Amino acid sequence: MAMLEAVGLRKAYGDFVALHGLDLAIEPGEVFCLLGANGAGKTTTIQLFLGFIEPTAGAVRINGLDVATHGLETKRHIAYIPENVMLYPNLTGLENLAFFTRLAGRDDLDDAALRATLIEAGLQPEAADRPVGGYSKGMRQKVGVAMAIAKGATALLLDEPTSGLDPKGSNEFSNLLVRLRERGVAILMATHDLFRSKEVGTRVGIMKHGRLVACMATDDLSHVDLERIYLEHMHD
Amino acid sequence: MIGIIARKELRELVRDGRLRLVAALVVLLLLASMAFGWRQAAAVAAEREAAQRTADALWVDQGDKNPHVAAHYGKHVFKPSGALAFLDPGVDPYLGVTLELAAHQRTLPRDAAAGDASSLARFGTLSAATVLQLFVPLLIIALGFGAWSGERERGTLRQLAATGVRPRQLLVGKALGVSGALGLVLLPAAVAAGGVALALGEGVAWSRLAALLPSYLAYYAVIVAITFVASARARSSRAALVALVGFWSVTCLVLPRLASDAAPRVAPLPSPDAFAAAVKRDLETGLPGAPREDRVEAHLGALLEREGFEGAENLMPDALLQGFELQAEAAFEDEVFDHHVEALLDAIARQERVSQWAAALSPYLAIRALSSGLAGTDFAHHRAFQTDAEHYRQALVRALNEDFARNAGDEGWRYRAGRDLWARAPAFEHAPPDLRWALRHNAVALTLLLAWLLLAWAAAGFTAQRVRVVG
Repeated sequence: MAMLEAVGLRKAYGDFVALHGLDLAIEPGEVFCLLGANGAGKTTTIQLFLGFIEPTAGAVRINGLDVATHGLETKRHIAYIPENVMLYPNLTGLENLAFFTRLAGRDDLDDAALRATLIEAGLQPEAADRPVGGYSKGMRQKVGVAMAIAKGATALLLDEPTSGLDPKGSNEFSNLLVRLRERGVAILMATHDLFRSKEVGTRVGIMKHGRLVACMATDDLSHVDLERIYLEHMHD
Repeated sequence: MIGIIARKELRELVRDGRLRLVAALVVLLLLASMAFGWRQAAAVAAEREAAQRTADALWVDQGDKNPHVAAHYGKHVFKPSGALAFLDPGVDPYLGVTLELAAHQRTLPRDAAAGDASSLARFGTLSAATVLQLFVPLLIIALGFGAWSGERERGTLRQLAATGVRPRQLLVGKALGVSGALGLVLLPAAVAAGGVALALGEGVAWSRLAALLPSYLAYYAVIVAITFVASARARSSRAALVALVGFWSVTCLVLPRLASDAAPRVAPLPSPDAFAAAVKRDLETGLPGAPREDRVEAHLGALLEREGFEGAENLMPDALLQGFELQAEAAFEDEVFDHHVEALLDAIARQERVSQWAAALSPYLAIRALSSGLAGTDFAHHRAFQTDAEHYRQALVRALNEDFARNAGDEGWRYRAGRDLWARAPAFEHAPPDLRWALRHNAVALTLLLAWLLLAWAAAGFTAQRVRVVG
């Protein structure tokens, strides 16, 4: 069964249609990279999966549960990493992770286990006890990944998680995603990074004006092909 | 779950340097105002005690004279201040504390502290109650205005929503976090209040002090809920702050002013001159429909009947009859005094009630009334003192007249009593009414405060369920 599923998903704001009937299914162990210009509907799709906004028509399901009717239960399966993982600046990295993880229902993890998760996510050990106010963006994204790992999420919703990261940070992040993919996590990632999409993704989709205009497996695709197809679609 | 949220909220608040500064300031204000209240209460109590001692000595040492002349000479009594006046002086500084008790007159208390230019009362406006009722709500607003809007602006609300936490748990957790921070501020004040109450000694009103605590907590819970509603609904933290400070100004500054302006329209008071003239007129002619002669006659008849002299006036010694006549006259005068003074006090009580009902629009007015009521410094307690003193005056005059009637004999007006009789008059003791009485007199304020509590939390719960996660 698909972990993340959208069926005839439509979202309209008055006359403006942000999403025209999207159909999408992402299996465990799959990384679906959603490409497209700003305003193409990528973030709208992710926010619909999160239940932050309600669909105008159609449905979103997580692990077979409809988000509209089982909002809180679907949250148990997912982790969300936005473009900027936002944390409480007065609290340390460890305190932030502990707070969000325990809030997600995992109160069985002690501080040592959480600290290990932060290190697994790539954070320098000594940073864990510093207030997040002094973190770089890359460090905050790592806390976000640690949150996903600690929670034991089976589905990941990523909204341009690597934009603004330096190449090294971006590379580290991609490696983490590959590791989660190998554990069988289903990942939906909105991104502008064609290179990373090819590296990490199992499939890529291209969105334009609220429609999924292309969808292909990355195995059959070279970097050059992907860029060509993408640019073709971006031509009006 | 709720505990996790509460701990995180508290940790965030405690680590905020600006909030620490504001909280320290409020703690300082509270302790300073209480120390000041303590000094003032101790000074007032000492002053009162000395004055009462002097007045009692003057009474006992007035020399030999006819008892009715002594009743004219009269006696001064002084109002004991409420046991918790150091916390909440209420309306005490504006009301008289000295009462002159004598035959043929019922006076109103005079010598209010506020009228005394040299008095400490000038500073008295910064009482602990003022800090608790006006400044602590501002602190709550500072602690809570960003509770929801700040999370939305920082983007952490999205992260919270993605964890699957229930909005209601978030609401309660956040409320507990703010309460915890508030507790850190109020705890030293509560300890200090208990300490001062002990230091002031004699008759610590523990039950009243214990009742003040939940009253203030209920008030603060109302402010927390209102703060959360504004924070969750406002477009930004800034807008929430502006709205909340606006709410504070209207309910804490504007509405009390409007209520005190409206009160005299609802229950106008006569001018002191008009009041005195009306009393004087009725003392001469009697109350409408009850002419003076008829009433004095009736009182005398009842008195003679009670004492077994009915129809035997002609056989009575002159002094005895004169003594009875003096008593009958006093009884008539008391009727007139009661009629006018009680009407005046009723009108003042109605004015108080206007301000209590205005609490429907302002939780501040509810706690203000309730707090001074529990501290024993509201008008109802002042009136209880006046009533007690009036009963004491009537009993004193009656006892003196009776001594004259029974012991004058052939001496008549030349009869003199001395120190023995004066010393036999009991000292004036005024025990303030108990807690239940105080609550009954503030039932309107109490009910409205509870209504605010229910409505504000219902609104907060409703808002939390529908809080916008994005933009």
